[in-house]
Amino acid sequence: MSELKSGSNLEKVLKAGHFAFTGECGPPQGANVEHLKEKYSHLKGMVDAVNVTDNQTAVVRMSSWAASTLMVQDGLEPNFQMVCRDRNRLAMMGDILGVHAMGIRNMLCLSGDHQQFGNHPESKNVYDIDSMQLIALVKKMRDEGKFMNDKDIDVPPKLFIGAASNPFADPYEFRVYRLANKIEAGADFIQTQCIYNMDKFRDFMKKAVDMGLHEKAYILAGVTPMKSVGMARYMSKSVPGMDVPDEIINRLKGAGKGKVAEEGIKFALEQIEEFKEMEGVAGVHLMAIEWEHKVPEIAERAGVLPRPVV
Amino acid sequence: MIVADRKSLDEILWMVSDCNKILIAGCKGCVTVCNVGGMKEVGILASALKIARKKEGKPLEVDEKTLERQCDPEYVEQIRDIYDDYDAVVSMACGVGPQFLSEAYPSQRFFPAVNTTFFGGATEHGIWEERCAGCGTCIIHYYDGMCPIARCSKSIQHGPCGGSARGKCEINAELDCIWDMIVKKKMEQGRLDDLLMVKAAKDWRTARDGGPRKSIREELTK
Amino acid sequence: MEGECHFLEGNLRARKRVDYVKKTLEELGIEPERVEIFNLSSAMGPQFAEIAKGMTDKIKELGPSPVNC
Repeated sequence: MSELKSGSNLEKVLKAGHFAFTGECGPPQGANVEHLKEKYSHLKGMVDAVNVTDNQTAVVRMSSWAASTLMVQDGLEPNFQMVCRDRNRLAMMGDILGVHAMGIRNMLCLSGDHQQFGNHPESKNVYDIDSMQLIALVKKMRDEGKFMNDKDIDVPPKLFIGAASNPFADPYEFRVYRLANKIEAGADFIQTQCIYNMDKFRDFMKKAVDMGLHEKAYILAGVTPMKSVGMARYMSKSVPGMDVPDEIINRLKGAGKGKVAEEGIKFALEQIEEFKEMEGVAGVHLMAIEWEHKVPEIAERAGVLPRPVV
Repeated sequence: MIVADRKSLDEILWMVSDCNKILIAGCKGCVTVCNVGGMKEVGILASALKIARKKEGKPLEVDEKTLERQCDPEYVEQIRDIYDDYDAVVSMACGVGPQFLSEAYPSQRFFPAVNTTFFGGATEHGIWEERCAGCGTCIIHYYDGMCPIARCSKSIQHGPCGGSARGKCEINAELDCIWDMIVKKKMEQGRLDDLLMVKAAKDWRTARDGGPRKSIREELTK
Repeated sequence: MEGECHFLEGNLRARKRVDYVKKTLEELGIEPERVEIFNLSSAMGPQFAEIAKGMTDKIKELGPSPVNC
């Protein structure tokens, strides 16, 4: 076990060669701890780690480290997310040390949606460093035991470093190189943007495998079940860098009244089945947005239960 | 050049509400080139203020003077003989102007008539775009002459982010994604490798983050 | 006619500038319809007279400019 970088459950599961299954939980827009606990209680035992979003879509929420800490206390493993939008390098390094102190062992490094999307568009955007540099920073703190300024850290934070990849943003030809860059910077695992365009993703993964990226980092495919036709349309039109083919929207429409959500889950399950067999895919990241209570059912039907204990 | 937009008439009227006689000071530098604070715009603002105040029944006397530049002590002297004849001076220069004037004439009040916006240029007649953030450490040689610090909404040095779609930025479908342009140019030139390295975090001390800046060139100083 | 100016784009630019003047008048609290732009050819005398009369009537209706009284 001495080779483990962080000792997180997610790391152990992936290292043991299991098909990983991660979930997601957005903290509340308030200090409502009970609500948060209710949401993540559905994920306990169903996933290997739970992503805790950091002011997602630039809307103010309970801080991701605090929500992650609550999860640790309740026996769930969080995947603490940090965006570059809200913190300069001092705050970042302080929080990286802080989350490690609180028992958090996974961290996903993101640029973050621009604040113009959120509920405080008037705010100053920080972007002191970008997601690539954040990955490199966490790696440096962990592996070299040094701060960004090269000064020693007395007890370095041991975190399993995650990064995001969006195969559907443009320019497409460059996306796999950007992924390679993030892995080069120090990402141990990758979680992709929600996938709907399977043709494009197959091509993307083929390129990634050709470059040997799947041997350098664990790639988890992003899945978000569609709850309604409206959600599909919204994702297609209003979420930056999201690719929802018309055939998916038509398939949901064709499901008929009262059956759209089930059709959305069916599509997600088909995706998961394919990902299990797809070369280079080490797991699935299930983002059941405001649908946490459906995760046990989806996990069960996807045949990923029980989760491995390593 | 420095680009600016004129403030609303209401805001300027509010600034000069207690004045009976003002001077509007234009500038023949950048704000003349970007058609916001040159001799012509000084004339238009003067007329508008006079009309507005006459309508209110509180006539305002307005004189006009367009300085060679307002960012140079030598030219700031061009109002030495008259500055004290007014209740206030409204500067139509960029944000530098009212400050140089204020420092040269401590007894007078100076108000800005424009909002200074960015360093940029005219992409076509009547349209200006930002090109430089004045960060103090130019890095555009890495990006074939395009600046992600000024032109990427997130100023990222490793782009494009996941929000880039069809060559446009996630924050506005009208806004070009500079990273899309950088990547495409590198691809066309067959030099994509330039982008495949992790760049050190930027040292922001040379930008505004390091405090107000000063540039000294010894060979030119007295 | 609009877009068919002897000076090519001159009347299109003129329209934008008239719009700017109207906007400025509005900011000043003066009726923007005191300024209008019309496109006519030299062969449209009767229409010109009609527009001039219409404009005169409109100004009479609006009354004297608040700045000149």
